[in-house]
Amino acid sequence: MPLLKLENVTKRFGGLTAVNHVSLEIDHGEFIGIVGPNGSGKTTLFNVISGVYFPEEGSVIFDDLDITLLPPYKRAPLGIGRTFQIPRPFGSASVRENIAVGAMFGTLSGKVSVDESLQIADQTIERVRLQEHRDKPAGTLTPVEKKLMEIARALAMKPKLLLMDEAMAGMHPNDIDQMVAFIKQIAVEEKIAIVSMVEHIMRAVVGMAEKVIVLHQGSKIVDAPTKEALEDPKVVEVYLGHPPEE
Amino acid sequence: MKKEITKYYPLIPVFAAYLLLFLIGRNISGMWQLVAMLLFYCALGQAFNIFLGMTGYVDFGYVAFMGIGTYGMALAITKLAHIEGLGIGIIIIGFILALLMSTLLSVAVGAVALRLRGAYFAIATIGVNEGFRFLIEGARIWNGSEGLIFTAQLNEILGREAASSLMTYWADIMVLIIAALAAFVTLYYMRSKIGYALTALREDEDAAKVMGINVTKYKIIAFITSACFAGLVGATSWALKTPYVFPPEVFEIHYTIEAIIIVLLGGAGTLLGPVAGGLIYGISKYYLAIFMPGFQLLIFAPIIIIIIVLFPEGVVGMLKYRLKDSALARFII
Ligand SMILES: Nc1ncnc2c1ncn2[C@@H]1O[C@H](COP(=O)(O)OP(=O)(O)OP(=O)(O)O)[C@@H](O)[C@H]1O
Ligand SMILES: [Mg+2]
Repeated sequence: MPLLKLENVTKRFGGLTAVNHVSLEIDHGEFIGIVGPNGSGKTTLFNVISGVYFPEEGSVIFDDLDITLLPPYKRAPLGIGRTFQIPRPFGSASVRENIAVGAMFGTLSGKVSVDESLQIADQTIERVRLQEHRDKPAGTLTPVEKKLMEIARALAMKPKLLLMDEAMAGMHPNDIDQMVAFIKQIAVEEKIAIVSMVEHIMRAVVGMAEKVIVLHQGSKIVDAPTKEALEDPKVVEVYLGHPPEE
Repeated sequence: MKKEITKYYPLIPVFAAYLLLFLIGRNISGMWQLVAMLLFYCALGQAFNIFLGMTGYVDFGYVAFMGIGTYGMALAITKLAHIEGLGIGIIIIGFILALLMSTLLSVAVGAVALRLRGAYFAIATIGVNEGFRFLIEGARIWNGSEGLIFTAQLNEILGREAASSLMTYWADIMVLIIAALAAFVTLYYMRSKIGYALTALREDEDAAKVMGINVTKYKIIAFITSACFAGLVGATSWALKTPYVFPPEVFEIHYTIEAIIIVLLGGAGTLLGPVAGGLIYGISKYYLAIFMPGFQLLIFAPIIIIIIVLFPEGVVGMLKYRLKDSALARFII
């Protein structure tokens, strides 16, 4: 049984079809890269999975439960954590408090106390190495630090599925390698399925992924093990704008 | 256990300010009137802060909760005055009724308006107080536009002397207690999940939802709590202090505006802010009216604008930032 299953999901904004009949499956602990150029519908797909938008067609099944129309706040505790393409910290709250919010509200039992949450936050802060920023208002972090904080905030939710929207954008290549290794490690140790969205075929991200899904103008055009996906002529066409030369 | 106590340290400056006010009022002759006014503004700020400050939502109809609380107390006194032997109990019943009525009204308003976001919420609440006033006047509820006057009943129940000391002294003490209680509840919320949820939704409502926060639930909690305190302030400052109630007076949007100014001046969402805001606002208003009668608004408005521009986080917000690495930090939030 897959962890997440999308069946024929379509999301439109007025006349624009941002996500067009997309079906896909993600297994427990899998690391998946979703690649697609600007405006191909990656963020919208995340928004449909995390409940920010409801799709016009199709269904979203998580852990055998139909969550297509479930409000977002009920999805998080089931085990869906995410980060945002443009970081969305709770700016006036400290890094520690931000992460504690994840533990407090994003876990299934719903019974994690404030003190326990703060403890979990401290542990998570160490894992992402944000110790020196612990008590700063999250709004004052650099964009890269904010992304790290968002990952920590999502991890504190003990998710089964972690959706990362361009989490590595703007990072130094060395940091990206480290980050990807860290995420890969989490995926293995805690059996968290990771879906990482990237605009370009980022070597580091895609290289780690077991499977690559390519979106183009809202439709899924490729869904295959990484090596195969990268050699697919459709992918080359999307990124180079012409079919590969014979 | 020790940790539990240190959590409540930030109440010390708040309570100290109230104690100081009380002492000044008691010991310096002629000051009680000013102190009473300051207590009213502090209580109003403290009450409104629980909603405006903690959620970031602006409720322009807020005064309606004070008005309805005033009616709660007024109704208890006018309708139950004939029952023998109630004595001071009638005031307790009045408070209960004030709480009940402001809760009901806030549930009704909240259920509709809190579905709206940000500015849309603010716009939707603009007419609430006026609407309620017209309802009372038009449908002749609770004696319609003639209002309720219950000085005679108070004199009868409590005796002339006790009634008079209630109006000129004990009502103000009750306002002080309500303000202190509101501060306590504010801090309790801040330290609990409710506070974390409210901060999150104030900063970014969509992100808060995705983090598992039932934002509607927490907004309603803050709204009802804030409305209840407004009801208590109305029941005390407006019904007990001046034993009559007329719809145009208690549904006057002017008080909502004052409450907004106090919260913003002091620092929205901070614990000490409403005290600072209430004092700055009340003192300036009082003395400007004495020294520059007629011109007070002309001077007052720019002062308020300057303070808010200089300290967008409010006076306490600024203090908090300045003192964040000092020993005082844990007292000022
Ligand atoms: N709330 C919205 N209202 C209207 N149109 C939207 C909305 N959100 C997204 N879109 C449109 O849907 C399409 C897909 O956008 P989406 O943000 O999902 O793409 P993306 O793959 O994440 O792109 P990027 O690489 O720029 O992040 C775009 O044409 C975008 O303009
Ligand atoms: Mg995007």
